[in-house]
Formats: sequence, C-alpha cells, structure tokens
Amino acid sequence: MTSSLLRPPGHLSPATALQLSQQAPIIIKNSPGAVTASALSSLFSAPETPELWTIYENLLLSCLRTGDEESAHLCLGRLVNRFGDDNERVMALIGLMKEADAKDDATLEVVLKEYEALLQENPTNIPIVKRRVALLRSIGRISDAVTALTGLLDFSPTDSEAWSELSDIYFSQGLYSQAIFALEEVLVLQPNAWNIYARIGELLLMSVKSGSGDQNDSAKQLGEALKRFCRSIELCDDYLRGYYGLKLTTTQLLNDPPKPSKQAESDGLAPPNLSTLQKLDGLATEKLGEITRRFTAGEKGWQGYEEAEIVAAKELLEKSSSTTVR
Amino acid sequence: MTWFSKSTTTFGFLLLAHACYSAYEHSALQSHRAASLSSLSATTQQAAASSSLPLDISLETIVATVIITLGLVLNTTKLRPIQWRVWAGQIERAGEEGARNSSGEVDKDFVGNPFKLLESRPGFVDIRKQRKEFAEWVKQQ
Repeated sequence: MTSSLLRPPGHLSPATALQLSQQAPIIIKNSPGAVTASALSSLFSAPETPELWTIYENLLLSCLRTGDEESAHLCLGRLVNRFGDDNERVMALIGLMKEADAKDDATLEVVLKEYEALLQENPTNIPIVKRRVALLRSIGRISDAVTALTGLLDFSPTDSEAWSELSDIYFSQGLYSQAIFALEEVLVLQPNAWNIYARIGELLLMSVKSGSGDQNDSAKQLGEALKRFCRSIELCDDYLRGYYGLKLTTTQLLNDPPKPSKQAESDGLAPPNLSTLQKLDGLATEKLGEITRRFTAGEKGWQGYEEAEIVAAKELLEKSSSTTVR
Repeated sequence: MTWFSKSTTTFGFLLLAHACYSAYEHSALQSHRAASLSSLSATTQQAAASSSLPLDISLETIVATVIITLGLVLNTTKLRPIQWRVWAGQIERAGEEGARNSSGEVDKDFVGNPFKLLESRPGFVDIRKQRKEFAEWVKQQ
C-alpha cells in the first residue's frame, strides 16, 4: 500500500487510485502533521523521513484525481506548513489544486495569469513552467504550449521529462518525425530507458501505418523500428511491449517486403535479410507465447504484466497463427 | 531452506557454547591442579606445559565457527541481479512481487521501472483530464 504511495500515482488504475484516496483520512490521521524545528521536542517525536512528504504529495495527487478535496486540502496544508508557500514544488502543487477546483474556463484563465505573474518574478521556476505548459495543453492552446515548452528546453536542455512531454504533444498533432526526434533527445539523456526505445519503435510503426512519406522512407522506418524494438529487448528480458512491437514489425516486413533501396543501405538502416527476419519473428512469437502462458497460468514471478497487454498479445498471436494456417 | 539454515546456526552455537564451557572447565581444573601440585613442590615447567588447551577443544571451536558461518550465509536473502537486462526483466515480469524481502514486504527503495516517469510525466499532469476520466470510470461501475 505505502509502496505505491512512494511513487507518483499517474499511471495507477482508477481502482487503485480510489483505494488510495479512501485510505487518505486514516493515513493523514496517523502521520505527523508537522515536524517541529526545536531540538528538545524532536527528541521525543518520530524522526522526520523524506518518505513522509513524498506520501503527502502522492496522496494529494490521488485525492485530487478522485475528487476528495477535503483530504487533498489537508495534505497540501501540511506541505505548505513544512516547506512554505514560496517553495517551487509547493507552488506548483497549489496551482494544481486551483486547476482542479476551477469550474469554468474563466477561472482557468485566472490561474494561467497567476502562473505568468509568478514567471515574471522568476522565469526559471521549472515546476511552474511545467504547470503552465500542462494547463495550456489542457485548454487546447497547443501551439502556445509547444512554444512555452521549447522555451523551457532552451534554458534546461537536460530535462528528459520535458523532452518526453514535447514528443507527446507532437505525437498528438500527428507530427511523427518531430516526436521521434524529441524522444531521441530523451535517449541521449537516459540511454538505458528500455520503454523509450519501445516507444520510438511504436512511433515509427505508426508513422509507417499513417502512410506519410514515400516507399523508400517507410522501408527505412521499418528497419529502424526493428532495431529499436530489438534494443529494448536487449535492455530488458521478457519485455512484453518490446516483443509485441517486434512481432508487429516482422509481420509487416515479411508480408509486405519493401524494395531494397540504395539510400537505406548506405545509411545502414536497411531491414535485415529474410532468414534473420524469420528468426526474429519466430523468437517474438515464442516469447509472447511463453509470457501469456505463464501469466494466465498464474505462475509466481510472472504476474507483473498488465492484464490488457496480455490480452492484446494473445489476440496478436491468434491473428498471426490464423493467417499462417490459411 | 530457512529451517535448515536456522537449525544449522543453532547447532553451531551449541557447539561453540560447549567448546567455551569445556575450555573454562579445563582451565579451572588446571589451576586447581597447579595449586595442589605447587604445595607438593612440583616443577612449574610441567604446569605451564599442561595449561595449553587440548586439541579436541580447539578443533570443536573451529568447526563450530565454520558451521555458524555456513548457517548465516545460507540464511541471507536472495541476491539482487547485477546485470541490467536481468534486473529490468525482473521488474517487468514480477512487478512488486520480485522486490519482496524475506518478511513479505515490498522493499522501501523499490521504484518499479524508473523510466516509467518519462511516460507518466508527473510534472505535466493534466489533472482535469484525470478527474474527468475518473468520473466516467465511476459511472461505469
């Protein structure tokens, strides 16, 4: 329970978020509300841990998501008590609370104005810059959000989270090559992030499927997607997402082999030859089969996958086996 | 495995206690004998020679130490993987289950996939969208 409170709750399922926020009153009651600065009383109270404040922050996010505003206000109050309302991270949380409370667009505009006023005072207040980008994106002003985000990346180019967000905004606009470029910047900063490799592979596949670019281009992109998925598997054993993408790419390449082009070969991005592709396809099928089988059998140590991903993998396997039979 | 290592350690400690007690008894006996012999004007040389520990007690001590060490080593938790792909694979495959220690609690420093943050991006969270999605989920239930 507490272990999931130590991690940001963005990716949790609604059921888990609800469960967490239902526990919020108990956790708030049982945790110390404030830590005294005086040496004498700190002798008698429990020691202050960094986890305590992480828990408050994540609990706040979960409560805001489920609409439990009372507990959210309590969490925020304690954070403000501890760190003061001029702490950059706390400022962003206060802004987040106002966004969540906002009933109409006019209120959101006011919040946006507040962010801008804060940035006037201190233009390098990164949490507030990020909140402003998120708010702009949320109210549909995408191009303003991109401008603000590129501004942030201009003065803080090592922020991989911001690069990743930029990639996501570009992707939502269908700008695949820009989205891939931004993710490549993330890889420069986090060269071992296996999920980002898989994400780039997925973006490349989608860009091939969307049919933008000519024949040459798509052959090159499929070849690159293959390499990205292979790298993600190299970095992470039994990576369902990587094998799924690999299977999709090899199926596409085997069913519809692109004509070899001189340019792709000179770049070193030409897809490998037929036998290698078939071997990769066989490996992906075998691994996907193993993962789905062991997950559904309830084997211990194989239950970390998500149900939906397993279902999708099963569908893919069934589809591919039915086409082979035909 | 735990009962085996625990019983091994206990057995080792018993042996060690036994060796200590024997050594104490031996030295007590020796000093008693030396006292009684000196009154009979025996040579001090002989007393010094017999005051060293007999071989079986020394051997028992060494064997007990080895057995205790063996028991403690067998009782350690499973080592974490040090290869990147094995470590990452364990996170993906087993999730929180893989990080449980011997008492069944998830380790405090377990973070799951540390790069998941690059996809969930807590700094850019769109709280209004999340609230809307959550409200829809509640309606479906």
